[in-house]
Amino acid sequence: MANLKELRGRIKSVASIAQITRAMEMVASMKLRKVQSKAQGFRPYVEEIRRMIAAVADKVAGEGDVPLFQVRDVATVGYLVIASDRGLCGSYNSNLLFAVKKAADEQIAKGRKVKFWVYGRKAYAWLTRRGFAVERFFVEPALDKADFAAAKVVGQALVEAFTSGAVDEMRIFATRFQSMIKFVPTDAQFLPIRSIGVGDKAAGGAAQASFAADFLLEPDATTIFNRLMPRFLETVVYDAMLQALTSEHASRRMAMKGATDAAVRMNKGLKKVYNRARQENITKELLDIVGGASAVS
Amino acid sequence: MAAELHLRIVTPDRTVVDRKVAGVSFLGLDGSYGVLPKHAPMLTAIGVTGFAHVTETDGKTSDLFLSDGFAQVQGNVLTLVCEAGEAAAEIDMARVKAAEAKAREKLAGLDKLSQEYTNAEASLRKALARELLSRRTTGSGNLSS
Repeated sequence: MANLKELRGRIKSVASIAQITRAMEMVASMKLRKVQSKAQGFRPYVEEIRRMIAAVADKVAGEGDVPLFQVRDVATVGYLVIASDRGLCGSYNSNLLFAVKKAADEQIAKGRKVKFWVYGRKAYAWLTRRGFAVERFFVEPALDKADFAAAKVVGQALVEAFTSGAVDEMRIFATRFQSMIKFVPTDAQFLPIRSIGVGDKAAGGAAQASFAADFLLEPDATTIFNRLMPRFLETVVYDAMLQALTSEHASRRMAMKGATDAAVRMNKGLKKVYNRARQENITKELLDIVGGASAVS
Repeated sequence: MAAELHLRIVTPDRTVVDRKVAGVSFLGLDGSYGVLPKHAPMLTAIGVTGFAHVTETDGKTSDLFLSDGFAQVQGNVLTLVCEAGEAAAEIDMARVKAAEAKAREKLAGLDKLSQEYTNAEASLRKALARELLSRRTTGSGNLSS
C-alpha cells in the first residue's frame, strides 16, 4: 500500500493543478467573450466595405491598372501564418502548423519557393525549428491586444511583398472559428485578389441587388477603388486575426476544461485510495491493541 | 420635421451612430458635402481627417471626428464607413496630446520621403483635428492657437 504521506502530497498537488486549470479556463472564456464582442463590432464595417467594393468594381475599367488583381506565374508563395503566442490551448497550434507544413511541402514539391510572415510566437518557433524562412515576425502588438491598426500594418507588409515581386502569391493560413468546438485551419488566397471581379469580369448581378445601378461617384471610380482596396485587404487580415484569436481562446477553454475535469477525477480516485489506506492502518492498530489487551488479561 | 435621413457611422470597433437625423454635412476627400434626406445615391471618400456636422431631428447639432473612410448614400441611408469616428464629446484630450507629442517626436527624426514620415504626419494631423474639434465644441481655449 502506498504510503500515506506520499498520497497526501499527491492529492494536494492534483487539487492545486485543478485550481490553476480552472482559473485558466475562466480567463480563457472571459477573453473569448471579449474577442467575440470585438468581432461582432467589426462585422458591420466588413459588410459595408464589401458592399461598396462590389458596387465600385463594376465601374472600374479593365484590370490593367490594378496590380493587386494580376495573376502572375507563381515562383514564390508567401504565407501569413497566424497562431498563438502561448501554449496550453489543446491542439490549436499543432493542427494549424501541421496543415501549414503540408501545404508548404506541396508548394515546394511544385518547385516553388515558400516564404512566411508570422503572427504568434508558437508558429515562429515551430517554423524556424524546421528551417523555413520567416520573412517577418510580427510581435508588436501581441495578437491578444491587436486592433485594426495592427491588421493595417500586417496588410501593408503583405501588399508590399506582393507588389515588389518578393512573392507572386500571398496566402493566409489561419484557424477559422466555426463553432465553440470546431476550429478549422484554413488556407485562403489573399493576393492576387480573386474574390472580387473587376471591370468586365465583375459579377454585376450581386452588386446591383444591394446597390442602385446608378449613383454618383466622387471624385471618380478609380480613385475610390484605389482607396477601398487597401481597406478591404485590411479587413480580410483583421478578420483572419479575430477568427484565429477566437479559436485560440475557445480551444484553450476546452483544453483547460478537460484538464480540470481530469484533475478532479484523479483527485477523487486518489482520495479513495488514501482513505482505504488510512482505514486499513486504523484497523491494524485496533487489532494490535485488542490483541495486546487479550494477551495481558 | 417630415423628412428624415438615416445616418450610420461604422468603424472597425463599433457602430458609432445608427439613428435618424435631419441632415449631415461632412468633409470629404475633395470638399465639403451636405446630405439632406432623399439625397441621390452617392459614393465618395473621406480623407485622413474629416469632420461631420450632424443636425438632429429636433434641430440640435453635434460634431464628430472621422478619419480615413468612405461615405455612401443609398436609399435615404447615409453610411459613413471610417477607420475612426467619435463624437466630439468623446474625445480624450490627454490621449490626443500624447499622440500629438509622439507624432511630433517621430517626425523630427524621419526622412521626409519615407513611408514612416507619411504615417507619422497622418497621426499628427489626426491628433490636431481631434484637438480642434474638441476645443470648438467644449469652447475651451483659443481656436487660433
